[in-house]
Amino acid sequence: MNRAVDPRDLAMDGDGLAKGEVLLEVKNVSLRFGGVKAITDISFDIRKGEIRAIIGPNGAGKTSMLNVINGFYTPQEGTITFRGEERKKIAPYQAAASGIARTFQNVALFKGMTTLDNIMAGRTLAMHRNFLWQLLYFGPALNEEIANRRKVEEIIDFLEIQHIRKVPVGRLPYGLQKRVELGRALAAQPSLLLLDEPMAGMNLEEKEDMSRFILDVNSQFGTTIALIEHDMGVVMDISDRVVVLDYGRKIGDGTPDEVKANQDVIDAYLGVSHQDEGEG
Amino acid sequence: MFYREAGQFKTTYAADQQVFPILQDRIGVAVILFIAIAVVPFVANDFFMSAIAIPFLILALATIGLNVLTGYAGQLSLGTGGFMGVGAYACYKLATIFPDVPIVAHILLSGIFAAAAGVVFGLPSLRIKGLYLAVTTLAAQFFFEWCFIRIPWLYNYNASGAIEVPGLTLLGVTVTGPAAGSIPRYYVVLAIVILLTVLVKNLLRGRIGRQWMMIRDMDIAAELMGVRPLYAKLSAFAVSSYLCGVAGAMFVFFYLGAAEPSAFSITLSFQVLFMAILGGLGSLVGCFFGAAFIWILPILLRAGPPMIGIPIAAETATHVTSMIIGALIVAFLILEPHGLARLWQIGKEKLRVWPFPYA
Ligand SMILES: Nc1ncnc2c1ncn2[C@@H]1O[C@H](COP(=O)(O)OP(=O)(O)OP(=O)(O)O)[C@@H](O)[C@H]1O
Ligand SMILES: [Mg+2]
Repeated sequence: MNRAVDPRDLAMDGDGLAKGEVLLEVKNVSLRFGGVKAITDISFDIRKGEIRAIIGPNGAGKTSMLNVINGFYTPQEGTITFRGEERKKIAPYQAAASGIARTFQNVALFKGMTTLDNIMAGRTLAMHRNFLWQLLYFGPALNEEIANRRKVEEIIDFLEIQHIRKVPVGRLPYGLQKRVELGRALAAQPSLLLLDEPMAGMNLEEKEDMSRFILDVNSQFGTTIALIEHDMGVVMDISDRVVVLDYGRKIGDGTPDEVKANQDVIDAYLGVSHQDEGEG
Repeated sequence: MFYREAGQFKTTYAADQQVFPILQDRIGVAVILFIAIAVVPFVANDFFMSAIAIPFLILALATIGLNVLTGYAGQLSLGTGGFMGVGAYACYKLATIFPDVPIVAHILLSGIFAAAAGVVFGLPSLRIKGLYLAVTTLAAQFFFEWCFIRIPWLYNYNASGAIEVPGLTLLGVTVTGPAAGSIPRYYVVLAIVILLTVLVKNLLRGRIGRQWMMIRDMDIAAELMGVRPLYAKLSAFAVSSYLCGVAGAMFVFFYLGAAEPSAFSITLSFQVLFMAILGGLGSLVGCFFGAAFIWILPILLRAGPPMIGIPIAAETATHVTSMIIGALIVAFLILEPHGLARLWQIGKEKLRVWPFPYA
């Protein structure tokens, strides 16, 4: 696979951090929806170059955490520090501009557009030619379009989806849609890639493919990845560190082995009743 | 058999990104353009030119305008008639204030006034969607109709309350007013429609068009790709209203010759909306299909019965026509919700594999 891809070509834009330095730090974040406490006082960090899994039972607040990180939700308390910049509130397009891309739990592709256009859409921030050039579709505008098309084609090769290049994504099977969505996120050349259950609803073979893509993205492009996933086998196999949430709280954080041995985590997954739920 | 891209390999991305990547399509477009430019004006009679060809082209442009907003950017609008009116009145004022500037410049400039109006009335789209947005564009429609009636300055204080197009020349040929022949008017309209269609197509296949479709298909994800909803939606409103404004100006200057405020009523908004839906939302070629269908069919229906010897009162004919058109629209929406453009596409796909049923 990905014979033709030169990793340097698709690597994220330099963020000036060495591998292992803290890329993103979540500090004491709490998020409420009316009376519902989705996230309560959570802190953790994501280091440059790692694959960081976020796990937890249904409704634990995993998706909400991603939504806080990329600016869909503004937490009532706490701060997010990304690439050394602390912020309380950020708009999603600003998060995108600062180098965060993501995929969604329920595929959120542009259904009426082709695979090619969907992945081109991921390059929105790389394209700047103004309205007048766009009207002419000529000169700088055309060159820009072609330069970006070239990048997109590399991603298409990398993900092995050449055959569906011109197919409207609404017509694709679910597994391929998930792959296209990964491609769209990669197209932005993010320094932090958030994946919300990229393997949900996939069969074994598709899961293996997807795991391989995630590992390749991480090792070849140097992209830091935060991954939400329910399949424990996959999580333990591919992640460097795991943070475990339950009922909006952090109950575990560490390497896969540490987390596996953590009694709170075992209880949460075995469904031990939560006596302390009403407090705090 | 004959309509096939086999053997037409694309070796560059530029070639692959052409509007018509298939050779046969390019030939087809060239033939249509040739007919429109060099055949129609010489074989058609004055009635065909004035009552069919010219308004068809103008309404197709208005439909493109609405399609940019509704079909591509996903923002429903019922204010098309109003925005066309803004273009028409702006053009009228420009032509009376600066009579020496060529009329084509006025036509193209008048769209900018409509675009500005579109941006203002597009502001609510940042907060509201769907039917609620349609209601605010309806408010725009009524607001402009009110202006056209209540602000006498707009119609130069004419006793009739209508705008009357002055006779203007372009390169020495009279192109507006009662003295203008249908052929010069047709050529001006055709040139403007072709020019703007090409420019819109360019926008649609580039960054800006993609942003519109991203907002249409999944606004949350679009924002996450770095699209700013403010710019994307307002630029769609601006471009859409610009096209509608130019169409409105041409509607008065090259077709109606004079217009009362009622020319730009909600009826026109709906007529253009039907054209867009029937042609196919999100398709440029569909705009021409839709405009042809909705504009030409009633004319045929009215002319048909007397021609084959069935006497029918003009008024009855009008009623029957509305009923037939209405029924056709309903039937069409049920049978092919993606419009005539989709039928056209299916036809082409069939033709590609012909004589076999599958590729
Ligand atoms: N927009 C919202 N409004 C109200 N409550 C919400 C909203 N989003 C999430 N919640 C609530 O916050 C809690 C955490 O939800 P979240 O989607 O983050 O869980 P999750 O860990 O991603 O679960 P799953 O594994 O099912 O995807 C849930 O109780 C959910 O009902
Ligand atoms: Mg979730």
